[in-house]
Amino acid sequence: MQTGGPFFLWRHLNKLRWAFLSIVFAMLVALPFLHLYQTYVSAHAYDLLAESEQRLYDVVETLTDPFVDDPVEDLDAIKGNTWSGTFWGLQLSDPLAAAGQSAAGRTLYWPFLLTALIPVVLSMVFGRFYCGWVCPATFLYELNSNFAGWLRWAGLKPGNRTFDKRLKYGVLVLGLVLSAASGSILVATIYPPAIIGREIYYAVALGGFGGGAVFFIGTLLFDLMVARRGFCRYLCPGGALYSLLGRYRVVRIRRIVETCNDCAKCNAICEFGLDPLRDGFGQECNNCTACMAICPTAALTFTLRITDYPEQGPGHLGRQYRREYAQQDMEAAE
Amino acid sequence: MSEGNGTEKILLPVPQDHSPSMRRRTFVQALALAAASAATPEAGRAARNGSGLRYLRPPGALPEEDFLQLCIHCGQCGEVCPNRTIKYFSTENGYASIDTPYIIPREKGCILCMKCGDVCPTGAIQFIEYEVEAILDEVDMGTAWVDEQLCLSFQGKTCGVCYRACPLQDVAIKVGRLEQPHVTDECVGCGLCERSCIQMPQAIRIIPNRG
Repeated sequence: MQTGGPFFLWRHLNKLRWAFLSIVFAMLVALPFLHLYQTYVSAHAYDLLAESEQRLYDVVETLTDPFVDDPVEDLDAIKGNTWSGTFWGLQLSDPLAAAGQSAAGRTLYWPFLLTALIPVVLSMVFGRFYCGWVCPATFLYELNSNFAGWLRWAGLKPGNRTFDKRLKYGVLVLGLVLSAASGSILVATIYPPAIIGREIYYAVALGGFGGGAVFFIGTLLFDLMVARRGFCRYLCPGGALYSLLGRYRVVRIRRIVETCNDCAKCNAICEFGLDPLRDGFGQECNNCTACMAICPTAALTFTLRITDYPEQGPGHLGRQYRREYAQQDMEAAE
Repeated sequence: MSEGNGTEKILLPVPQDHSPSMRRRTFVQALALAAASAATPEAGRAARNGSGLRYLRPPGALPEEDFLQLCIHCGQCGEVCPNRTIKYFSTENGYASIDTPYIIPREKGCILCMKCGDVCPTGAIQFIEYEVEAILDEVDMGTAWVDEQLCLSFQGKTCGVCYRACPLQDVAIKVGRLEQPHVTDECVGCGLCERSCIQMPQAIRIIPNRG
């Protein structure tokens, strides 16, 4: 690996990641429709449905009929969203849900905490991977980020401020404290993936978006006008928790200094404003692999370490290194 | 209105004494209540829950305070509800119950399928077996109450719709002369009677029991 460069598929992981994000988001959109279909089936009144409802019934029936015998029972296999969901009996929950609920109840309710175990373990191995690979809000935030790119191309200036990344840990602590004080998991009301899961359901099945959608649009505008990916970088309480869990993550991205040419495209592409060029990943990196995908010299690869490489200096294919190297050569010749 | 028309028993008692001292006392009491609710979260919650909304929690839900502590607002109970009975609060019931599930029985009654307790990941809605005995024992969303002034059967026009809507006929509701409904202690408060009542406003309504 050291000499032969990174495994050739690594630079295509970013596409796989987009596939994951799209699947998760598509699932969150599809589930409420499946639910509506189930309610139509269990009502046993096809003829009384409105025309649009009949159309939905027909479409979903065509799609699901090969897989289920009894839609009312069998389609219950997948329920919920990324905040907390049931997949064929396996319940998975967001670690923030577990933390927030423990704070709100001021007790540890193990049957629920265990549902967050798998995400917690994965986070300790892969770091903040949830933010890059699963989060339905990331799907929209990255599209929003691309939109900002178009705006820049069109001559408008999207916001590009920076704040202290530690702000979000304050939000996490404050959210948990307020949850504990109010006895209700208030942190869920400002956590975008939880909001999106709920709001899509509200919109499709209950006839309209709720207040959370307004908040989420606010965060999109914040990202657009104030700071690129600002909410995820500086404010998201879940991102803070995942970052803490991933502080000593095992799977990290590493720069191969021998093939790096200091082009700094990795720093430009990084959604979280990290510094791959100077080996600065830290606990914020979500292993999204965008930097790997854009690197023109394939100078980024995975490594198994619990800390980042110390700064390795300028890339060996870069101008700065060559200048210094030539100088050293001359000094050696003298 | 003539005496004995019965409406006074559903009205809240109105203070009759409007002398300044009385008003001052109620003002002081209100201040004390506000101070108490600010000082202790429990009291504050109790005060906030007096939003005046008559809503039920899903069947098997823990008492209100425990429920709010356990519920993570994931929305699975609503997503699994085959009757689309369960809705979610915005801010109308206070910030503590934002995005929590509720049932307005006049809009949709609970069909007691017990799926919401099955899917709830946190036990905020307890799992209850889908069996008559278990439901009768453990579900207590509220109790139906008949307004005899509004009820057609009590006004001499045989109706009996609520009795026929009841999933626990002859256990939760019994009918007497002219199909006059009599709610028993076994009523679990599913709200199907209130949903089906043909009177407007409804003559039978669920008095919520949120613990």
